[in-house]
Amino acid sequence: MATERKAEVTWHGDLMSGSGTVDSVTSGAVGGLEVSWPSRAEEPNGLTSPEELIAAAHATCFSMALSHGLAQGGHAPEQLDTSAAVTFQPGEGITKIALEVDGRVPGMDDAAFAEAAQQAKDNCPVSKALAGVPEITLNARLQS
Amino acid sequence: MPRVERTSAATWEGNVARGGGAITAASGAFGDLPYSLATRIGNPEGKTSPEELLAAAHAACFAMSLAGELAGNGTVAEKVEVTALVTLDQVEDGSHRIVSSQIDARARVTGVSEGDLRATAEAASKGCPLSALIEASAAVTVKATLEGGTDGD
Repeated sequence: MATERKAEVTWHGDLMSGSGTVDSVTSGAVGGLEVSWPSRAEEPNGLTSPEELIAAAHATCFSMALSHGLAQGGHAPEQLDTSAAVTFQPGEGITKIALEVDGRVPGMDDAAFAEAAQQAKDNCPVSKALAGVPEITLNARLQS
Repeated sequence: MPRVERTSAATWEGNVARGGGAITAASGAFGDLPYSLATRIGNPEGKTSPEELLAAAHAACFAMSLAGELAGNGTVAEKVEVTALVTLDQVEDGSHRIVSSQIDARARVTGVSEGDLRATAEAASKGCPLSALIEASAAVTVKATLEGGTDGD
């Protein structure tokens, strides 16, 4: 069955001096998040941006895919800490996403963890949707 | 223009069926938003999901791109409302894929015809880096309509 998720954004004015808000999302988890061009292309000053939201989408998708892969291999994780850093070059686009994960997984060795992380990076739905990003890197570390 | 980096950090505990996690944005704009597999696929129950976050990214990216295109044509939107609807579905090989993102934009802008707006919205989607990325593997559709009080035609 297909799953739909929606987000609503309002924008006032031109790009450089105008501003907008992410008003609402299907779940209600966020609302009233301000966005602007200066906070997207320069210092965020507490405001989110499309690239930060992409990072959030990718980090959550990767974490779930990795948890699934580990559990299928008989090693459900105790904890995964993932970060996604999205690089945006104005005028060019999204040039890089760097995924980093620290995992606490009982009974697992480094090589198997690295392999599971690579599978999650290659196959999670957000990775597939963003496969056109020129560089997606992965750094997976297993905590003892 | 210098490169910009934006980071979000996600935690996860437990297996995918029963576990859960939380997502935090480095800017501080949002933090500790819970997510889980059950609420990603089923009723959201107030929890966000990768697809919802991607929809928010796409709507914001497109809205900014449209504002930029309109300004480039010498017009300024009083107000643009954009929704992005992202669909996750099971595909032939049994895996889940993001199959589409549907953009629906409603703009209040004077001196622009419905046809002009549609053409500008197409250009805006081309100019939004996320549209181009999603389009490589999923359908991106753009609908744009003028909202009341205009004299563009």
